[in-house]
Amino acid sequence: MNEQALIQDAQGGNLEAFNTLILHYQDSVFNTALRILGDDSLAADATQDAFISAFKSIKSYRGGSFKAWLMRTVTNVCYDELRRQKRRPTTPLEPDTDDGEEMDSPRWLADPAMTPDQQAEADELEHAIQHCLNNLPLDFKTVVVMADIQGMDYTEVAVAVKVPLGTIKSRLARARLRLRECLLGFEELLPSSFRLEVEDRA
Amino acid sequence: MMKQRDVALLSSYLDGQLSSSDSARLEARLKSEPELVSVMDDLRIARGYIRQLPLRRAPRNFTLTRKMVGQNPPMPRAYPAFRFTTALATLLFFLTYGLNFLAPQFVSQPVYGMGGGGAGDVELYSAEAPAAAAPATEAPAQPEFAPAPTIVTTPSEDSTRITETPFAKNGEDAAGNALAQEVPEAPPQEPQNTPPIVPATWQYVLLGVAFLSAVFMTVMRRISIRRWK
Repeated sequence: MNEQALIQDAQGGNLEAFNTLILHYQDSVFNTALRILGDDSLAADATQDAFISAFKSIKSYRGGSFKAWLMRTVTNVCYDELRRQKRRPTTPLEPDTDDGEEMDSPRWLADPAMTPDQQAEADELEHAIQHCLNNLPLDFKTVVVMADIQGMDYTEVAVAVKVPLGTIKSRLARARLRLRECLLGFEELLPSSFRLEVEDRA
Repeated sequence: MMKQRDVALLSSYLDGQLSSSDSARLEARLKSEPELVSVMDDLRIARGYIRQLPLRRAPRNFTLTRKMVGQNPPMPRAYPAFRFTTALATLLFFLTYGLNFLAPQFVSQPVYGMGGGGAGDVELYSAEAPAAAAPATEAPAQPEFAPAPTIVTTPSEDSTRITETPFAKNGEDAAGNALAQEVPEAPPQEPQNTPPIVPATWQYVLLGVAFLSAVFMTVMRRISIRRWK
């Protein structure tokens, strides 16, 4: 796939060329939206909106990493969605405790009708990590998703988020530490290798 | 308490984003500072688990349709010209049609001076004309039909005429009747057949241009859509 040629064609209004780019990047864009929003259907909507927006503004693309440019577009769409949710809050998935406070324990994830053995380990881990991601500030979450989930390098992330490189490094480090603390609360869900490592250090 | 800068250094070191000199310096510190090692382990574990998150496949294809992006078929360069011509010719046709329709009404309106009366006054004086014109028999070159309606009279003249009216009835009936017979009544004003401002030929031309341009435009559009599809 000659990405630059496709981009140039798309800038000339060639929708087929842009659709080829979409097919190449749609998994990445969807996963970014999914990890930022934490909801499949919202992520799908955001992905579609991001591609529409990207096509309409593709003439503003001036070279550099196309993936970073796309990620910036989908991130902006996700931010809009989160702002909209803030204006019209919905019922949280996490149940309240008897005191009326939001339950912070990972036990809320467990379905009482199922034993932990019945749940796939991968799903548990994914839920746990997603829960911890959701607890991160939005700026931190975006950087972690791009650097650690999408595997983008720091420069690409800086371009996508439009902040200096030093800020990316700082945000990523702090986000990882917070995630580490959060994941300790999910110890029973984590794979045995991780638990052993924690025990050894204790 | 670990400094934020050190945490950022460790995180970058894990990702291989430090320069060789910075890496060497940090590695030297790691050997002597166990707290740094502990934090680096935390960062490595967190990073490892985040990277274990499975990449989901997109639930469907997000390819775009032309309708989704509001894309229209590319039209030939002449298309806007035809569109403009159609619009202009149609507008001019209706304008000329309206002008021709309204023109006779403006032309048939009498012109009055300042303070001129309405049409009712004219009729009133026309009816009185034979009697009022009786003393004026000596006046040369009277027109065949009563001319007086447009005479601007002063109030004193009006009153004189009113006082004279019975007199005319008493003494000059015969003369008046004779004059009335000689001077025929003013014929009723026929509507003037004014020519149209814009000749009908021009209107036909405008109509034809509008129609032809519209036809060309439609054909162009259909061909473009067919090619585009």
